[in-house]
Amino acid sequence: MRGFNLIVLRQLKAQLRTAEWRALLFATWIAIALATLLALLGDRLERGLLRESAAMLGADLVLSSQRPINPARIDDALQRGFQIAQVAQFPSMVSVGDEMMLVSVRAVTSPYPLRGEIRTEPPLPQDQPFSGEVWVEARILEQLSLQVGDQVTLGYSEFTITAAMLSSPDRGSGLRSFSPQLVMHQEDLEATGILAPGSRAEFRLLLAGEPQEIETLETLWQASLGDEERLFSLRADQPMTGAALGSALSYLKLTALIALLLSALTIFLSLRRFSDGQHQRCALLLSLGLNSTDLVKLYLYQLMIAWLLLSVVGTITGIALEQIILSWLKELLPEALPTPTHWRYLSGPAMGFALLILLGLPPILQLSNISVSSLFRDEIVGSDKRALLIQLTCFALLAATLLAFLGAPLAALTLLMLILVGGALFGWIAQQCLKLLAIPFAKKLLLGRLLIMRLEQQKRWHRLQAGVVILLMTLLSLVWISRSDLLADWYTQIPEDTPNYFVINIQPWQTESLQEFLDQNAIRSELYPMVRGRVSTLNGSSIHAQMNPEQLEHNTLNRELNLSWSDTPPSHNSIVAGRWWDADTSDPEISVEREMAEILGLVPGDLLGFNLGGIEIEARITSLRAVEWTSFQPNFYVIFNAAALKEMPATFITSFRLETERQALASQLVREFPSLTLIDIGQLLTQIGTWLERLGDSSALILGLTMLCGALLMLLTLHQALQQRRYESALLQTLGASAEQTQKLDLLELLLLGAVCGILAVITTELTLMLLYQHLLNLTPKLHVGMWILLPLTSSLFFVISGILMRRRLTLSQCYRLLKSS
Amino acid sequence: MTLPTDNKILLEAQNVAKWFATQDQRLELFHDLNLKVLEGETLAIVGRSGAGKSTLLSLLAGLDQPSSGDILLQGRSLAKMDDATRAELRAKQISFIFQSFHLLPELSALDNVRLALEIQGNPSAVTEAKHWLNQVGLGQRIDHFPAQLSGGEQQRVAIARAFATRPSLLFADEPTGNLDEDTGQQIIEQLFALNKQENTTLILITHDLDLAARCQRCVSLHAGQLHETQRQAMS
Repeated sequence: MRGFNLIVLRQLKAQLRTAEWRALLFATWIAIALATLLALLGDRLERGLLRESAAMLGADLVLSSQRPINPARIDDALQRGFQIAQVAQFPSMVSVGDEMMLVSVRAVTSPYPLRGEIRTEPPLPQDQPFSGEVWVEARILEQLSLQVGDQVTLGYSEFTITAAMLSSPDRGSGLRSFSPQLVMHQEDLEATGILAPGSRAEFRLLLAGEPQEIETLETLWQASLGDEERLFSLRADQPMTGAALGSALSYLKLTALIALLLSALTIFLSLRRFSDGQHQRCALLLSLGLNSTDLVKLYLYQLMIAWLLLSVVGTITGIALEQIILSWLKELLPEALPTPTHWRYLSGPAMGFALLILLGLPPILQLSNISVSSLFRDEIVGSDKRALLIQLTCFALLAATLLAFLGAPLAALTLLMLILVGGALFGWIAQQCLKLLAIPFAKKLLLGRLLIMRLEQQKRWHRLQAGVVILLMTLLSLVWISRSDLLADWYTQIPEDTPNYFVINIQPWQTESLQEFLDQNAIRSELYPMVRGRVSTLNGSSIHAQMNPEQLEHNTLNRELNLSWSDTPPSHNSIVAGRWWDADTSDPEISVEREMAEILGLVPGDLLGFNLGGIEIEARITSLRAVEWTSFQPNFYVIFNAAALKEMPATFITSFRLETERQALASQLVREFPSLTLIDIGQLLTQIGTWLERLGDSSALILGLTMLCGALLMLLTLHQALQQRRYESALLQTLGASAEQTQKLDLLELLLLGAVCGILAVITTELTLMLLYQHLLNLTPKLHVGMWILLPLTSSLFFVISGILMRRRLTLSQCYRLLKSS
Repeated sequence: MTLPTDNKILLEAQNVAKWFATQDQRLELFHDLNLKVLEGETLAIVGRSGAGKSTLLSLLAGLDQPSSGDILLQGRSLAKMDDATRAELRAKQISFIFQSFHLLPELSALDNVRLALEIQGNPSAVTEAKHWLNQVGLGQRIDHFPAQLSGGEQQRVAIARAFATRPSLLFADEPTGNLDEDTGQQIIEQLFALNKQENTTLILITHDLDLAARCQRCVSLHAGQLHETQRQAMS
């Protein structure tokens, strides 16, 4: 046995010098590192943001509403013996002197939270701040240069900061959960003057109780939920937070899918090449008395040793990468993430095992079929049905492992198909372009015709290379450009007079004084009233019953809309059908946004019904409007005539532009109208920009690794292709070509391949960006000149330099020996 | 068969020696080897395995350099030629037929023959290639790839490729080594017929003494020296 082990080790040592094994080890290393990274990151984010729902919810069941919680719900809960807490969460400006910051305020009753706890620094015995106090997150302290004990202004009230929050449950849903948070007691809410009927806020009723009873109540309430209500529970596993991070994680996982696929392809090709080269050695070992079982063991042991070593190195690399990404995303994540579950550390090695063994087993089993007689005559080892079956089973298992590992199998499968189809298409186009490019050379150069023949011979290799290279370069360029340039381009291209501030939560009694303030300071703006309501009927019967599934998906049918009224059409909208009403019209009339009308099939003359907090109102469509949603002006899907809505409780909204030198007016406005919520769009864009940049960095890191996998695959296949060309060069040289000519032929082929890949990657990137610019950002597309130079140059240099480094010059005497021996 | 004694010398090896240096000793393959080959002559070189027949072929064809001595083709020293001149020589004057055929598997029969003509810079490569494939009896199979041809057919494509460039000197290294007896016989008939038709000088490396006997002259490589062999003795 000792002798056998020595053979294993000696053979492994020898194989480490071969290109196939080096590529195999490198690809497995990257795959293990990536799998470890994703498993750890996914586990921490999921458990931190999604799975620990109880602590995140702060309760066993949460009823969320856009309106104050219906008292009947509270009575129902209390009668059933549940412990309850109420929360009102809304955006507001917190200020200290001239400094201000948009925060997410949570006004809470006592006790709060019902599950989990708010961790503070300094640690405090009570569950929530007392009246007159607030607890804030460190981000607020940092940005406003505050310390615990300092005073802050919120609306009309002053508060003392008594603690910094290290972590807190019940952060709210959507983007709210990412905003810096401030917790205050609900007793103080009224005095701030911030919330009034119609204000934008989320009201939550938190409940805690016995699981069985919670389940019963959940089922009961689920059936009677109002339009504005939603239920969040542990059982349904509907996270209130983390949706955006969840998407980001899925995005990173899908990016990693490409790297894992390339690793798998590299491992597969390496193993195939490796096993092809082992036939004679295996036949020799068999002739020396080794049986076929031992032969399989011999190779399996080698793979196992390699796997064990790579598992250690790959896991360490994965942990290091995870730390890098977490440090990049630090500002966007809750303060403390849980430590990873221990078994997650095994994910990388498990993925490595699946890749190495599942891909390695079929060729190794095939090696055991070699007969000793192949030493005496050339024998091709046929692939019998059993080997094919094993191979297919292994591929299926590997695909299942990959998809299960990445989660979201449908998205992964779609992406996989896109990659395969896209890669094949790119490969085919590149090969056609190569043919066209080679024609001028064929006319001028002696070896031009040979180049044409070479392109024909090597078309499968060219397609593979081009498909992979173009796909990778396009992805990397897109990530790189969208990471920073896209937002910057969008920001610089928006018109100069575009508003950069929004003011919301303006109460009716504040409109006059606010308008006066704006006029005095020469700030041009219009105030729009806003009432929340849901579309309920069309021409007298339920609108939902009249819509097809696609129409039912439309945004406007699934949420409360902000409705407005006006005597005149908004200056930034244009009427595209029908006519605007007369100012003295008394019957309810509405103007509908064009796209909404098109999708829902609404036409002027239709009668649309709305539910405004329990009040039903019907209005006839008299016009359709074209709305520029990215104009940063208040825009509405539906506008009523004044007579129809003006008696309804409403808040007002406006937007305006303040030049840099007049930004101080924003602080003045908040001081004079403390209960208003001022949203600084510039700040918001910076926040989105940071998001894009951080996410871009993270995916660029994974894509960088993917590029490494790609480069490795390229080098492996290039090595193989050059080996083949070596034989061809030997033959050409004996037929009269010189060594320089054959070298030129090889390098010209690689140069053309690199240039074509680079140019096609640029075109694909530009086309994708053009679609993004036109359809998502509504901007004029622009060419990225730098990319037109950089990508073809990088790609050509990569191929040519690799070719120069890997191509061994063939002397004439070697030519004949090579031909003799082959 | 008569020796063309009045013909000019096409190829001449003068005191050629070839040795390989190993770690601590010199392995000598030939020493003071002399050979004259006349234009239009057919010469067989025979010898045991390992005698250095293929190395000698490499030297005579200008694919390798002698350690000492010189090889002259039409009076010009191959050793003194630069790579480009020797490449041109191979393209225009020297052809090879190998034991393993060495056709490019991705090219059709026509393209394999055309390849040599294109390297030569022949403007009517396609026509010429078709002509030579017709000559070897493969006119109907020009679009077939090597894998679709039998061993004998592949060697006939290789013969067509070798003669297509109209070389003055043709080296054939065990041309029937990979073929059965009957096919080998047909190939040899074709090779010699074309050789006679084109008046090409043929240097044939072989183990097969019967085949060697078909040549006008035969030399045996033994202990680093060439020895003239009596044709009668061989047959």
